[in-house]
Order: sequence, then structure tokens, then C-alpha cells
Amino acid sequence: MSGLSRFWRFTLVATMMAALVVAERYPHAATLIAAYTLMGLGYQLIFGHLGALALSQGAMFGVGAYATALLASTLGVGVIPVGALIAALVAAVVAVPVLRLQSHYFALATIALAAIVHLVAVNAERWTGGANGLVGFGTNLPSELSLALVAWTVAALFVAALARAMAGRWAETARLLREAPLAAEALGIDGARWRFTAFVCGSALGGLGGGIAAAAAGVVSPEATGFPLMVLCLVSVVVGGARHPMGAVLGAVLAVLLPELLRDFGGAWLLAYAIATLIVVRLAPEGLAAAIDRWRGAAQPMPPLDPLPRRPVTAKRRLAVRDAVKRFGGVEAVAGVSFEVARGEVVGLIGPNGSGKTTILNLISGLVPADEGAILLDDQALDGLGAVPRARAGLARSFQTPALPAATLAGDAVGLVAWGDAPEALAMFGLDKVAAEPCGRLAPGERRRVDLARAVATGAPFLLLDEPAAGLGDAEREVLVAALRALAAEDRAVLVIDHDIALLSRACDRLICLDRGRVIASGTPDAVRADRRVQAAYLGRAA
Amino acid sequence: MIAAQLLLNAVALGMAYALIALGFVLALNAAGAVNFAHGDLVVLGGGVAVALAFHLAAPAWLLVPLVLLVLGAVGVLAARVAILPLVDRPPETTFVATIALAAIVEHALTLAMAGAPATVPAVAGAGAVQVLGVAVGRQQLAILVLGGAAILLVWLLLERSWIGMRMRAVAMDRTMARAVGIPAGRYIAATFALSGALAGLAGLLLGHQFLVSPTQGAGYMLKAYIAVALGGWGSVPGALLAALGIGAFESLASAWVGDAWAQGALYVGVIATLALRPQGLFGEPAGRRV
Repeated sequence: MSGLSRFWRFTLVATMMAALVVAERYPHAATLIAAYTLMGLGYQLIFGHLGALALSQGAMFGVGAYATALLASTLGVGVIPVGALIAALVAAVVAVPVLRLQSHYFALATIALAAIVHLVAVNAERWTGGANGLVGFGTNLPSELSLALVAWTVAALFVAALARAMAGRWAETARLLREAPLAAEALGIDGARWRFTAFVCGSALGGLGGGIAAAAAGVVSPEATGFPLMVLCLVSVVVGGARHPMGAVLGAVLAVLLPELLRDFGGAWLLAYAIATLIVVRLAPEGLAAAIDRWRGAAQPMPPLDPLPRRPVTAKRRLAVRDAVKRFGGVEAVAGVSFEVARGEVVGLIGPNGSGKTTILNLISGLVPADEGAILLDDQALDGLGAVPRARAGLARSFQTPALPAATLAGDAVGLVAWGDAPEALAMFGLDKVAAEPCGRLAPGERRRVDLARAVATGAPFLLLDEPAAGLGDAEREVLVAALRALAAEDRAVLVIDHDIALLSRACDRLICLDRGRVIASGTPDAVRADRRVQAAYLGRAA
Repeated sequence: MIAAQLLLNAVALGMAYALIALGFVLALNAAGAVNFAHGDLVVLGGGVAVALAFHLAAPAWLLVPLVLLVLGAVGVLAARVAILPLVDRPPETTFVATIALAAIVEHALTLAMAGAPATVPAVAGAGAVQVLGVAVGRQQLAILVLGGAAILLVWLLLERSWIGMRMRAVAMDRTMARAVGIPAGRYIAATFALSGALAGLAGLLLGHQFLVSPTQGAGYMLKAYIAVALGGWGSVPGALLAALGIGAFESLASAWVGDAWAQGALYVGVIATLALRPQGLFGEPAGRRV
């Protein structure tokens, strides 16, 4: 947990001091930077860290601003946090149906929300004053210098707090959710809850900024809810650095200073800012703050993640698939499959391409719902549960394409979900030496082993491994066989898909062969390999 | 009589929205990402028409091919600046880039037009003609004829020409198209030329009735975005039908309960639809769309 580096702490304090000094002559501009910083911080959470394409942050700023203007006479200074709460409330209500939507649907839903807020601001004249907006509420709020001081103190505190919070474990969790959402789910990280929390907290920060801006301006008009403000928020966060702890501050400073500096050019500053954004996206997508870090050579090494508390292991003994059916359009990918895997055994799932192996893994881990049939842990039916509760019930899996964020260190990728023993899992796959390397720099075989170690480190007693041997060299395959046997000896159940039948024969207690969505053979490796239908399925001869 | 005119207005607005949505969905399929600048290309089409009419004193009908050409070129430029260099980056990059592009177009137009909204001359003259005793606005008629012709031509291009087939192939699977030797980047740029030209045509046609004002872009983009979401993500006929419906709804509901309620109903309807039927009204599942 490091938070801001000394350089940025100094910059933050210096910026705050400078703002407070100029606040005597330009109180509005000085306070507005703090307000935009808060709006930007919220957007960093939602868009930067969680990667949600939200376009409602400007509207949340407006909600905070209007709430402050409307309630200032009754609540006095206390109104500003109330504005933030109201924005959070609006976000929470809308988030429930909308947050499960993916990328561009979510973007649309948030634009529609923003459009509704704007319509209300313009048309509900009795409350909002319509196009003229509201004035005269400022007398109940602190003014000029004292407001600037309050605003900057709040903004600086939130910058520091967010820098602290979004380092280490939370930063890695957000990165996994952003870059590999399915893997995160299958490993038991509740993305929906994270996104909800980020959206509500981020919106609250937007509302807080809006309230402060309203107090500083002494007027609120529908402009505070408009799409241009949203674009300004997005642009300043991206230019400043969408994930850098100081990105929101830099963006806000630019958003307030640029119009002053380019005043002689009319509206040209917005044009300049938009062009700068495009350049930043193309050349320095991490933003100015990160570019400054790189230029200073200050990529500080992060300490490894603190270990998670051990999670008690379920007492369930048996994973059972009963008559599972999955259709994609007219194709029955899985056509009534039943089998069991018990703790202490390794079972190999084989079959030609397209025989339904990965689909079965997806049905078990809950990434894809089954059309018919049941998945059971002992007598507990998992049907109807999503991937996250299934992972928490004791399942974990690896993926055909290892889903590892490139910037995450191998050790952290494993440590992030290690409710079991991370060092032991790393050692089991011979990864001790590369634990401090970022996953993006690992060889394909190493990445595959990190993915496997991550599933093992969850401590889950039921492991689903999808082609763990693909891309491994001979020595690595030996490590894999030994690891599979060790897992069985640890009293875990392993279901493993692979095409290397020789390897599976050595590692597995039993093999199950699928063809066209059906089990055509199961039993000891030797028996299954000798089966005529298995040979036919693989070699394409009629059985 | 009034009902018939109202209906004609509604269908004409729907047709203009259909042109916007058609360009939007073609670009969406080609790039695999929403072009947030699409609405601003519509406004730019109107702005270019205003400028051409003013500076060249060109006859109104000549504006159509000129605007198509200019906006086609702008479409290619947009693809080169904000889409093609970012195809292999995470989706939020294109999101930011096209929003920045939208802001660039909007603010450049604001500077160029000095903030004053302007009118595009009517394509086929002002006033109305009598059809079966009903006074039919010439501009509405022009929108229906030109819009219908444009949609038909695009359909022919996509379904009946090898250029169109390659465009569709690239939209369907860029990697596979590349693998069989189609220069994907060039066809994405070509699709954006088509998309920009359609946006320009829509802007030219809408700019007579609604004036041209630089801030309209987000609104137009939103209409197309809604049409695509309701019509089923990426479905061209779905987007066209939904856009026609949205335009007609907006016209009729505005006349009935006023513009604010009509817009409000549309946005609430979108959120409700996304919440209850995330796959769109007749489309593919939205749940796992990446």
C-alpha cells in the first residue's frame, strides 16, 4: 500500500497551495479545479479502473449541483455531502438493471440516463428554474476563500485516499476485471459488486464536485448536466491519466487553465483539448501523469500482494454432471452427458475438436447456463448459480488461453486469488523464479503455468483445467504430470481436458471420451484408449 | 388532411434517422466499436452544405453529390485518425478517440459558424405540391425519395457487388478476411467513406427544417445508437426499422404531448428495454457482447 510517490505528494500540495494563493483573485477558478478533480476522480474509478464505458458522470455532477442549489437554504454547508449522496442514490437505482449490460449497451444506458437528467433540468421549471437555472442560494454557503480551502482539502484527501485504495490488491482486482472479466468471475471475484460499488462511489464523487462547483458559481443552469461537461470530464481524465492517482488533478488543472490561456481564441480551447486527447490516446494512452513518471524513470517497483486469509475448504466430496444438455442454435454441443469426479482423483476429458469438452467445463463453472440436466456438489445442485458463487463453493478453473493481464506480476496474478497457498502453488509449477516478472514478458509456457498455479492457489478442491499442456515443452509437461498427481494426493478433484493422451494416461486415474456431445467411453486410460469407438472418433473411421 | 401531413412529416423524419442509423451501423460493424463522432458528421454534412451554398452559390440539387463527396472523404479521414490506428487496442481507446473526434468536429464547426445556426437550402425547392388533395412538403418528399434511393443503393452495393461483399466480410471477421487476402484496413476505410457520405446526406436533408447548429451532433448520434440497440446490435435492417420507428414516434409524440415528454419517453423506453430485454427488441443477446 504505497499511494502517492513523494514527487506527486509534493506536486499535489504545491498545486493546492498555488490554487489557494490565486484563490484571492480568482476564487471561482481555484475552487472549480477542486470540483473537477473530484468529478474526475469518480470517473477514474468507473472508467479508468473498472473500464466501464459510462457517460453519466457529467449528469451526476449536475445532480449534485442542483441538489445543492435546491437544499442550500434548508441545510447550509451540510448540503454538499447531501448532494453527493443524492447522486449516489440515483446511480444506485439505475445501476441495478443497467450494470450487467456489456460495454456499448452500458454506454448507451448511461447516455440515456444523462439525457433524462438534462431533460428534467431544462423542463421541470418549477424546481430547476428551467433554462435560466437557479440563483441566490449561495448566501447560505461558505464563499470565496473559505470555500476554496474546504474544496481543496476535500479534493486532496480524496486524491490521497484513492491513491492508497487503488494500489496493491484493489488495483490488481480492477485490472483483472477490466482485462479478463470472465476469468475473474470463474475465480470467484464478484465483478458485478465491484462495478456497482465503483459506479455508486464514482457517481457520488461526481455529485460532490457538482455541489462544490454550484457553491462556487452561485448559480446552477442546465449546462451543469449537459453532454459537453461529460466530454470535458472524459477528456481531462484521459489526458491527465485515467488510472494514475494524479490524473484527475492534472486534467482538472488543464480544464480550468486552458480556457484562460487560450481566451483570445474564443472557443478554441475546447478544440485544442479535444485534439490533445486524440494525440494522447494515440501516443501516450496512459496519460500525462504516467508519461511524466516514465520520463522521470520513476516506475516504482510494487511490493508483492499481502497474502489473503485462508478460506475454509468445503467438505463436499464429489462433483457430478447429470444429463447435461447445451444447445447453440440448432447444434447440440453437449447432448446428455453424465459423469462424476471425486476428491483425490484426476479425470481426463478427451475427444476430438468440437466434441463439447470446453462447453462442459463452461457448464460446470457456470460461465454458460445448461439447457437441461444438473451440476451437483454431493447433493447440492449448483444450477441457477452464477460463476462467482460456484467458485466460492469450491470450483476453480484455468483457461485455454491464459487470461492474465500483461502488466500484472506473475506472483501477484496468483496471489490475487490465493485463498489457499500461493508460494506452494507457484513452486508446484516451477514458477518461483519468475514470480516478480510481469505476465506480459513471460514465455507462453510460463504464462500457461501461471494460469494453472492461479487456479490451484485458490485452494478450491475441485479444479477444472482446460488444455493445460498446450504449448508446454517436454520438461514443463513433466512438471504438469507431477503437479496433477500432487493435487490428487492433496485430496483435490481434477477434471482436465487435453489432446495429449499419452500425458493424460500417465496423470489420470480415469479417462472420459466425448464425441459429438456424448460420452462414448469411460474407464481406465488403457481401457479407453483401446476402445474401438474412441479410436474411430479420433481417426474418423466408422465405428 | 392535417393527419396526413403529420404522418408524412413523421415518416420523413424517420427516413432521415434511418440514413443516420445506416451509416452508424455500417461503421459499427466495420470497426467493431461505436463511432461517437457519427452525429457530428451529420451536422458537418449540414455545415458543408451551408458553406457550399453560400460560397459557390451552387444550385441546391448540386449540393447532394458535393456533400456526399466531402463527407465521404471526412469519413476516410475519421477512420484513419480515430479507428484504424486503434483496432488492436482495448475498446475504451476507440471510445475515447471517437468522442474526442466528435468534440473536434463540434468545436471546429462552432468556430467556423461563429455560433450562429444556419439553414441549408431546400433540395427540391421550398413549398408544397398537391398530391391527391393533400399538400405534400417538397422537402419531405425529397427526403423520402433521396433517402429511399440511398438505402436501395447501399443495399445493392453490399449485397450485389464484390466491394460490398468484401466490406461485409471484413465486418464479419477481420482476421479471417485478412487471412484470405482482403486488405481489411482499406475496406474499413471504404465503409467509413460510405458511412460518412450517408451522415452527410442526412445532415443536408435535416438542415433545412431543423437548421444546422454545432451542438446537435450528440443528439443525432444518440438516435442512431438507440436504433441499433433496439434493432438488434449490428443488424442493418433492424437499425433501419428502429430508426424509422424512432423518427415517427418522435414526430407524432411531440405533436401530441410536446417535445420534452416525447424525448423523455424515448430515453426511459431505452433504459427499460435494455433492462428487460438486453438482447434488443429482435436481436442477438446483449449480455455477453464485448
